[in-house]
Amino acid sequence: MDKPLRLRFRPGDLVAVSAIALLASAVALIFLTGSGTGPAEAEIRQNGELIDTIPLDRDTEFVISGDYENTVTVKDGEIAITVSDCPGEDCVHSGWRSSAGQSIVCLPNLVEIRIVPADGGETGVDGVTG
Amino acid sequence: MGNSKKLALQAILVAAALALSYLERFIPLQLLIPLPGVKLGLANIVSLFALYFLGWRSAFIILILRCTLGSVFGGGVTALMFSLTGGLLSMSVMALARHIPFFSVYGVSLCGAAAHNIGQILVAALTLSSVYIFAYLPFLLLVGLVTGMLTGAVASACFRALIASGQWSLPQ
Repeated sequence: MDKPLRLRFRPGDLVAVSAIALLASAVALIFLTGSGTGPAEAEIRQNGELIDTIPLDRDTEFVISGDYENTVTVKDGEIAITVSDCPGEDCVHSGWRSSAGQSIVCLPNLVEIRIVPADGGETGVDGVTG
Repeated sequence: MGNSKKLALQAILVAAALALSYLERFIPLQLLIPLPGVKLGLANIVSLFALYFLGWRSAFIILILRCTLGSVFGGGVTALMFSLTGGLLSMSVMALARHIPFFSVYGVSLCGAAAHNIGQILVAALTLSSVYIFAYLPFLLLVGLVTGMLTGAVASACFRALIASGQWSLPQ
């Protein structure tokens, strides 16, 4: 009865496991290899538009407003959204980021903080569309 | 199954899926893995049930109703766009994966979880017009491996218990 219904774990399911793991590794290779350790700066984007670029070597704190308010803190070469009134506060839970290629996102406020090498070079991918 | 029985069952499943989505908000998975979009996906058990016992048409109807009502109760248009894209992609993939002979309900659940992640990342990338969002995908996929196995296990246990009770049987 059970066999034609295929309700118990079967060896074939490992194909799905491997395929997903493989896809995860491939995407990770493409997007995370560019992460560098050199001097970095943060590009602040809202609605996909670059609204500010700030160096990470100078401590500062400012607020991005929009539908919600994100308080961004730069300290000891790291950046984080430290306070936010958005639902869920995933951006605050993301914590501190410091190396190029990393990013912090606040979807409700349409904010993306992307860390890039200070020389302005791209990381990981060849180009950006959209 | 009669039409009115099927209609009542669909309504119950929409309610069950909404209740499960609501319930899992109280499970602080994001404290463990602080990434946007990380969740258990308990409502996917309902999707799997609908897909296996009622067929893909019912499964899609239940999914669309669940997403729409869910965004009415909280979340709004952005949330609707995310849950609908993730949900529709996930359901399409699961409806196909169900017919792959070497997959059990576990494999179907895993494919659904991965498709859901990919759908949500796609919407996020479009919303923010940024391809960099895909950097999150590997983490989401790995979390999806675990949660997909988990929901697959619950679905498997439920389905076997339902069939053993004699009141339910799988079509086909």
